[in-house]
Amino acid sequence: MMRGRIVLGYLLGVALALAAAVPEAAGQATVKMGSLNDMTGATSDVGKDIALGIREAVQYVNDTGGINGKRIQLFLYDYGYRVPEAITTYKRFRDFDRVAAVWGWGTGDTEALSPTVNKDRMPYLSHSFSAHLTDPKKTPYNFIYGTDYSSNARAAITVWHDEMWQKDPRFKADREGGVRPRFVAFYSWPTPYSSAPIKAIKDQATLLGFEIGPDQDIPLTALDTKSQVLAAKNFKPHLVWHGNTTMSVAAALKDSSALELGADHIVNNWGYDENLVKLAGPAAERVMGVAVNAFFGEKVPLMDKVTEYAKKMNPGVPLENRLIRTVQSWVDVLLMREALVRADKAGQLNGPGIKDAFETIRDWSPGLGRPPITITPADHRPGSLIRVYTIRGGKFALVKEVDLKQRWPDKWEKEWLGW
Amino acid sequence: MYLPSAVYHERSRQDHAWWQTAFVRGKMVLLFLLLLVVIPATASVYLLSVANVIGYTILSAMGVQLLIGYCGQITLGHAAFIAVGAYVSAIAMLQYGTGYPLSLLLAAVAAGLWSVLFGLPSARVKGFYLIMTTMAAQFITVDFLITQYVSQIGGRGHYFSLPPGTITIGPWVIESDVQVYYLMVLLVTLCILGMANLLRTRIGRAWIAIRDNDVAAEAMGVNIVWYKLLAFFVAGALGGVAGAFWISSLFFVSPEHFQFGWSLWIVGVILIGGVGSLHGTVFGAMFITLLLEGLKFVVIPLSEVFPALSEKFLNVKEAAFGLAIVLFLLYEPKGLAYRWEQMKNYFNLWPFSY
Amino acid sequence: MDLFLQLLTTGILVGSIYALVALGWTLIYKSSGVLNLAMGELTLIGAYVSLSFYTWGIPFPLALLGTLLVGFVLGLLTERLFLRRLIGESTLTVIMVTVGLSFFFRGIVAFVWGTDTRVFSPPVFPTESIRLGRIVIGQVYLWSFVAAILLLLIFVGFFKYTRWGLAMQATADDEMAALSLGVSAKRVYALAWAIAFMAAGVGGTLLGNINGLNISVGYLGLLVLPAVVLGGLNSVPGAIVGGILIGILQNFSGAYLSRLVPGSVKDIAPFAFMVIILLFRPYGLWGWVKIERV
Repeated sequence: MMRGRIVLGYLLGVALALAAAVPEAAGQATVKMGSLNDMTGATSDVGKDIALGIREAVQYVNDTGGINGKRIQLFLYDYGYRVPEAITTYKRFRDFDRVAAVWGWGTGDTEALSPTVNKDRMPYLSHSFSAHLTDPKKTPYNFIYGTDYSSNARAAITVWHDEMWQKDPRFKADREGGVRPRFVAFYSWPTPYSSAPIKAIKDQATLLGFEIGPDQDIPLTALDTKSQVLAAKNFKPHLVWHGNTTMSVAAALKDSSALELGADHIVNNWGYDENLVKLAGPAAERVMGVAVNAFFGEKVPLMDKVTEYAKKMNPGVPLENRLIRTVQSWVDVLLMREALVRADKAGQLNGPGIKDAFETIRDWSPGLGRPPITITPADHRPGSLIRVYTIRGGKFALVKEVDLKQRWPDKWEKEWLGW
Repeated sequence: MYLPSAVYHERSRQDHAWWQTAFVRGKMVLLFLLLLVVIPATASVYLLSVANVIGYTILSAMGVQLLIGYCGQITLGHAAFIAVGAYVSAIAMLQYGTGYPLSLLLAAVAAGLWSVLFGLPSARVKGFYLIMTTMAAQFITVDFLITQYVSQIGGRGHYFSLPPGTITIGPWVIESDVQVYYLMVLLVTLCILGMANLLRTRIGRAWIAIRDNDVAAEAMGVNIVWYKLLAFFVAGALGGVAGAFWISSLFFVSPEHFQFGWSLWIVGVILIGGVGSLHGTVFGAMFITLLLEGLKFVVIPLSEVFPALSEKFLNVKEAAFGLAIVLFLLYEPKGLAYRWEQMKNYFNLWPFSY
Repeated sequence: MDLFLQLLTTGILVGSIYALVALGWTLIYKSSGVLNLAMGELTLIGAYVSLSFYTWGIPFPLALLGTLLVGFVLGLLTERLFLRRLIGESTLTVIMVTVGLSFFFRGIVAFVWGTDTRVFSPPVFPTESIRLGRIVIGQVYLWSFVAAILLLLIFVGFFKYTRWGLAMQATADDEMAALSLGVSAKRVYALAWAIAFMAAGVGGTLLGNINGLNISVGYLGLLVLPAVVLGGLNSVPGAIVGGILIGILQNFSGAYLSRLVPGSVKDIAPFAFMVIILLFRPYGLWGWVKIERV
């Protein structure tokens, strides 16, 4: 027993020595940033690429002058999409690592942390684009870098209605027979991320004259969705909305094709990437979806840097396996950098200062195919221009862009904020 | 109970006391000083939140310890009752504006009754079948009822947060981590005292009799169905308290917190701590929580140098937990509480070895 | 009526896979009395191992064989390292060791292979569906059914006609008597675990072929428990029938119940059903009835 304890003591000592031996940023001023990621949990199919992208983008920022000369020190942690872990990690960021701002991830934990974050005045830029985070009256310190889920959903259903229902010859007979298009939502009911835009998309569906069928519950890690597809088939939908992430959307698409559901599909941005094509195979043809910026490798400003850093920092991951998620991370990091730089120039590199800096951003874009971002003190929705794509021959092609604000200005300003 | 020399009890009340010698009383005073004064004053907010997690684990594990350790009913679905407690108290506070103590009581009663419902099969089935029933309780309650139906109440959806200021005890608002810590110490102390006293009474003895040999207990006149259901009720109530506490520390409630994994986790906690011992619950909770926090400390600095480690850390954590349970059960089946007793005996009996 | 037949057929086909895994479980229980809650993770390991073999270019039948071999070895190792010391310990201890093992295996699997959905690509079985009358059946289901039934027959044959199989039956029946006749209980336990790993591994592979693989396949392994409870813990034919019943039940509840009762009933229906059965027939349909008045 004694010997065991001595060995244990040695091991502990070695571990501590190793931890202490990690070189500290010597002398140089740093800006500490925390990042919550999901690399092993239910959304890890998209989360892993995001985490790689964040590291690469931060390295790029540090290589190109940092924040007015200050280096970003990144604390990136995997919380496995478990809300309690997120909360304890946030507290660690706040009290122990003392970060200036946080890059958040999932809707559930971001919304859970929102009251705390707003009380702590910690700027929180999340990959969750839930519309609940966009009303500064309720969540002044929450920011998002992509168009919010509800707007994305509204745009997707609008584009399908305009381009497919109105124009496609497949639906001509139904249109002329006065049939209303039928709509069903496939999403994970218990998951805050999936259920966030449902109210909005149903509102938009009613606005456009759809008939809404029973929702189908598809867990995020679902492999077998046949009974849900069969239940939907009874309703004979024309259009199905997929609110989950790539894995379960692929499963649903495959089952829909195998069981001959006969509907068109629109997918939320986190279910729509290059992996979807790989997982769903031929079932992904003609599936429409939303993307908030350019896909990996598209010819847009700064994409060369993305590819360069991806090759440099993560040579073990082949470029064909990189996804739009990497590009999203870059947009995320560059937007934060912009806010940090502005706050630093104004001499206020603290919580409220960074928040105010965010709210001065007007029509700014980091390139990478991201339409211009505007954040105001009254509205944290970063834009109203949304691009809807489709898959043809395994490749993404733009169908149409929709500017929701231009089309429904009153509703955009007054009704749709915050849900 | 080892009494040092020259300590003689003259009244039976002294003999029955919890703290029989001045030494023990002194230790207890120091313990309370530590908990109530030293720790809140000196610990960082992060350590306080770790302490809160330990407190939550203790409260969750106590119900399981009661059922498994003291009554012999194996249960693998306890997280369901914690969930019931959390939701009932959250809805009571948000929907009906009750104060925290009342919602806590409501939560405990509701969870207790719900637990009795799933304990009813224990009147007919034993052993493995009971395990399956409790597992079914877990899945049915959390994955189904809460996720689908509770969301209809108040139109909130099944995950919602409690805005600051909702949790009030009389005039005090529970908001900061320090306040939650005090609440935790209060609740844990009350529950431990309650359980310890309950176990000393006739009810506790009946439970232990059932655990040891229920046929013999019945032959002796113990109404085992009644006592089993009572055990389920009390265990459920404890789970309800744990759930209500959890939301006060998190200000958020979602079914994700109460999955099957947590049920298994707390059974693991009591096994590591020692089945059938209140000390064991506390030790097990502390050991596991601190072990995993410690892992974090070692891994996060390393992850700056080896990014892959932090990416797979949660899997490492899960594997470590599983391995810890297995190793404990293989080599230390009586748990940490047994070790504790051995250490105390060592000091008590020194220089003799037995 | 179409829907009904479709669901019934798919249910039976998938249920055969559950039956295979349930068989493994029952073996362990019958021979050593261990209630193994790690069955889901055994399924996972087998599935991922075969996926690895397949992605390295090994043709599928050989990959399957490789999985069987790996499962055999892992089963022996697990029994030797972890379970041998527990002979004689209380039920709870043994169950919790299997729970600990399940956490451990799950952590290791996720560490090595990640948690994303992976598919067998190129697909092992042809993707076009077959039409039998008005029922659409994916070919993968049919082939999985064939594989599962084949393996079931092999295992049952093993029990009835080989020495080791008879030894296992003897140990399950009456361990003392078997020991006194020279049967090595340790070897029987080891063999039981090895077979369970193999059966679960193949089951996982087949399930992975149908829908793709990710960590949640482990949950499907957990469904084995209602199957064996339904069929009766000690009964091998009961396990098989139980597995098929669970497959059918899952499909039916997913399609029909979800209209009455919204939400993913499919996952919990087997458990709910099991509770109801337990109230009326506590020993399942074929289990040994032990008169124990509670």
